[in-house]
Amino acid sequence: MAGAASAAAERKVTIRVLLVEDEEIHRVLARALMKAVGGVELDEAGNGAEAVRRVREGGAYDLILADRQMPVMDGHEATRQIRALGVTTPIVGLSSDSLAADVDAFIKAGADDFTPKPLSKEKLNHILAKFNLA
Amino acid sequence: MAAAALREQLNALLSSMFASGLVDDQFQQLQMLQDDGGTPGFVAEVVTLFCDDADRIISELAALLEQPVVDFDKVDAYVHQLKGSSASVGAQKVKFTCMQFRQLCQDKNRDGCIMALAVVRNEFYDLRNKFQNMLQLEQQIQAQQ
Repeated sequence: MAGAASAAAERKVTIRVLLVEDEEIHRVLARALMKAVGGVELDEAGNGAEAVRRVREGGAYDLILADRQMPVMDGHEATRQIRALGVTTPIVGLSSDSLAADVDAFIKAGADDFTPKPLSKEKLNHILAKFNLA
Repeated sequence: MAAAALREQLNALLSSMFASGLVDDQFQQLQMLQDDGGTPGFVAEVVTLFCDDADRIISELAALLEQPVVDFDKVDAYVHQLKGSSASVGAQKVKFTCMQFRQLCQDKNRDGCIMALAVVRNEFYDLRNKFQNMLQLEQQIQAQQ
């Protein structure tokens, strides 16, 4: 607890993260991780279309974490559409498939990075540090 | 039974789950998130979500594999989902079996998929029993505090 609190205090500013994920188990895990890291305001979208809508409607995020396989609209298409809006927010693709082709597909869609699932505290800290959000 | 004896029983169960490879480091991470984050019931919540997901997906897979013409894309999507859920809870054996299952799916090997489903089901039932014992022991310990 003390670690998370001090990390958040050091960061001073709360960062806004949009999690694009359809499965509850992954959302529950992400919520716990964000809480453990501290200083994160988490917003959630259940599929890619919902994520695009939130961004289009002016959701100002510091980071977007997007799953690949989702109903309605997948993470690749959501990433393409968010980029087409001119949004430059870092987007990190998430999937339990992490072959080079899986990573490339996300990067080609416009993502800045890719992290294999499951998300962990270490991986989340690495992402935050990489995009100067830690 | 005294709380200390129950705790000993719980520790022995958890040790055997790790030693047999049923669960991996990710499960330990969940326990740490619960303990460090002061979120009682977090592990139980994730375990319950996993068991519900796995039960549902295994039923869907059985139904798909019984069809005269198997939709392997659908089968693959469900196995992918189960692989993701099992990775999140740290269900290592189920996750590994899903990885083999997906290969058979990509090869459109119906008989292989049916066999893989039987293995996934057995691995899952074994783990679910252990998880249920774990949650019961935790509840009993809680009740004595």
